Amino acid sequence: MDTVREHLKTVLVDKFEVPADKVTLQARLTDLDLDSLAVVELYLTLQEHWNIPLDDGDANNELTVDDVARTVDGLLGADTAGHDAGPGTEQTAGPGAGPGPAHA
Amino acid sequence: MRSEDTTAVITGIGACLPDQILDNDQVIAAGELDTSDEWIRGRTGIARRHRAAPGISTGDLATAAGGAAVRSAGIRPDFVLLATTTPDHPCPATAPAVAHRLGLGGVPAFDLAAVCSGFLYALATATAMVRSGLCAAPLVIGADTYSTIVNPRDRDTAALFGDGAGAVLLRPGSVGTPGAVHATDLGSDGGGHDLITIPSGGSRYPWGGGGSGNGSGGGWSGNEAGPGPGPGTDPASRFFHMQGRAVYRQAVGRMTDSTRRALAGAGWPPETVRAFIGHQANQRILDSVAERLAIPLQHRFGTIRQVGNTAAASIPLVMADHSTQKSLAPGERTVLTAFGGGLTWASVALTWPAAVPRSRPALPQPVPRSFPQPIPPPSTHTTTTT
Repeated sequence: MDTVREHLKTVLVDKFEVPADKVTLQARLTDLDLDSLAVVELYLTLQEHWNIPLDDGDANNELTVDDVARTVDGLLGADTAGHDAGPGTEQTAGPGAGPGPAHA
Repeated sequence: MRSEDTTAVITGIGACLPDQILDNDQVIAAGELDTSDEWIRGRTGIARRHRAAPGISTGDLATAAGGAAVRSAGIRPDFVLLATTTPDHPCPATAPAVAHRLGLGGVPAFDLAAVCSGFLYALATATAMVRSGLCAAPLVIGADTYSTIVNPRDRDTAALFGDGAGAVLLRPGSVGTPGAVHATDLGSDGGGHDLITIPSGGSRYPWGGGGSGNGSGGGWSGNEAGPGPGPGTDPASRFFHMQGRAVYRQAVGRMTDSTRRALAGAGWPPETVRAFIGHQANQRILDSVAERLAIPLQHRFGTIRQVGNTAAASIPLVMADHSTQKSLAPGERTVLTAFGGGLTWASVALTWPAAVPRSRPALPQPVPRSFPQPIPPPSTHTTTTT
């Protein structure tokens, strides 16, 4: 299991108190008892840890653990500018400012 | 201008919660909601809330809380600021009527609209007014009756809100005095204006109309695409709406960052904070913010389980509750933070006040309240003049 998936499992177990034996790559977030707000919290946590603009707009608890990990993989591979901002750094809001704020 | 060491000090505190209490099952039954007590508690942390009787207004609650704060301080206010989203009338402001009912004669008074951040916006504004010498005893009130704007059949919002009011009275003092405001942080992002909103009833979409100005349903300003036909004929548009997931995300980030800025302004490391009081919107949001700030559980204070989200009243109600309980010693480092529609956010770093709340005056006898009512046809609005 790579770093992204190891970290994701650690977050699910430590922060969301999911039993470790339930966290498989194929497990859906709903199977791990994450509701929609927990999914937002998970995405916020991953965004802050990896310093990536992780948008939860299309996220839901039908996603699998591997779905989430692949989204992180994609942003880590594609992102070249977002790594300068640390956790807690103010997100710029407004059109074109990145996918942080979920403006409908 | 006063000296740099002079700031505003909380010297009186008051609260008012209406007598009626509704538990989750009563809210569910009233709105025929497809949810459960367990779901509401797990999702929000809320078990019950107070509800103003029909005919009891925001101004009634604000007057009661303000009066209690005045008695707590033992001094006469020379200014009244009322933070609210639910004024007694669209026009005029409610604060002058509150000042009048408190017997304050001709003191300046105005309403401040920053939704759930309103109380901290008002506290920061009043602090600046004290520091500038504009006034010496401002009465700062946060009061709301969301029962008048929440759709009882909307599962997303019906169980969240309660009615109430809280107030503090400030006076000039040194930064070493318990209750002294040390730093404030305010911010907004109008790009998220649609995340928390009552769509109609304002000048953009008057009740019963299709849009602003020419009635075309357009009227959107700036470079953004127009929102399409106006919602003014949809009865649901008169109620409070909130996009829960997006609000969660924004609230956590904004309150965390704002709190950090306020603490930095005071020169206080987060680990020295002994009281963290966030806007009582949702227990999970509060926990998320507190965890990011590494505030231990024993230093987090709230009342959300007992009173729900009371909007502009939520933070002063927590302060009044824990002042009564003497949970904290005067002078302990305290940080307040809030997030609300607008979007707006605010934080205040202060020391815990020595003030003790006094019992609130009795609420007036209720008079019939006409809201909510069926929306009158547009023609009834066309001849209105002011």
